Amino acid sequence: MSYVDGGYTVALVSLFVYGVALVLRRRRWEKAVKATDSEEPAGPGTRS
Amino acid sequence: MNAIATASRPRWLSVVGILGVIALAFTVWLGLWITPPDAVQGNLARLLYIHPPIATVALYWAGGVALAGSLLYLWPRTRSFFWDRLAASAVEVGAVFSALTCITGSIWGRPAWGVWWAWDARLTSTALLLLLELGYLALRRVPADPAVRARRCAVAALLIALDVPIVHFSVVWWQTLHQSGTVLDPGFRLHVHGSMAWTFLLGFIAFSLIFVWLLGVRYQVEVLQDRVGDQEMEISLAERWDEGSELIGVGTAVGTATPERPEGGGQ
Repeated sequence: MSYVDGGYTVALVSLFVYGVALVLRRRRWEKAVKATDSEEPAGPGTRS
Repeated sequence: MNAIATASRPRWLSVVGILGVIALAFTVWLGLWITPPDAVQGNLARLLYIHPPIATVALYWAGGVALAGSLLYLWPRTRSFFWDRLAASAVEVGAVFSALTCITGSIWGRPAWGVWWAWDARLTSTALLLLLELGYLALRRVPADPAVRARRCAVAALLIALDVPIVHFSVVWWQTLHQSGTVLDPGFRLHVHGSMAWTFLLGFIAFSLIFVWLLGVRYQVEVLQDRVGDQEMEISLAERWDEGSELIGVGTAVGTATPERPEGGGQ
């Protein structure tokens, strides 16, 4: 793999992985909001 | 789906994300297959269609939003958790772009300079930017009252913002291995032309759109986290109050008064 291919791969894959992770985080917290709305002590539990 | 969850997904954000992906795909296609090799650097110059746009997002877009959000939070007349959440989101997304700036720059530097890393003013100040952003994110995880946390983080964001002009002017203030303006020189004269210039421009647009999308989604996460935190606090306070009332109820039997429970039970 050339340096050019390596650079593009690292940049694009990193952004893709971060984007997917953010979407999954959003989904998890939406479920947590739904759970706490029905007064269940569920959810990721930590607050950053 | 809960009302707040659905309300926090605006349609325009999805459109920005889709446009960003399309623009990025075109940037990669133009950058890798359509544009000609550079007269001096050959194919290595193709890395410059992504490295300067990523650095621009990390430095100016993320740094600018973090600074503006923090100042607007610190200013009493505009103080709102909206600005705090926006700044926090910008710093996290900015940290990703700062890391990618260092990595893609390093991958370009190895064949161009012969080293992966040099303690050059531009590289060092960019690495410092990343460290400051990581420090901000660590500070944000320290348990504290939301207002105290927001104030601490706003001050930390000002430190990040102080580094931005240092990164920008480092190639002017010091003799550096890093070249001065890659696209524009200090006199705003363009260094690239034709298809290379268009690919550069598209790269800037693509990464800017991707930044806006990531910022929007990260902001939604921040809102949801705070919402859950507030609700957990209310439930916890209500439970504690009930426990306290039961204990005081026992005390009442021997002559002490029971206080009234406040409405809402929380903050």
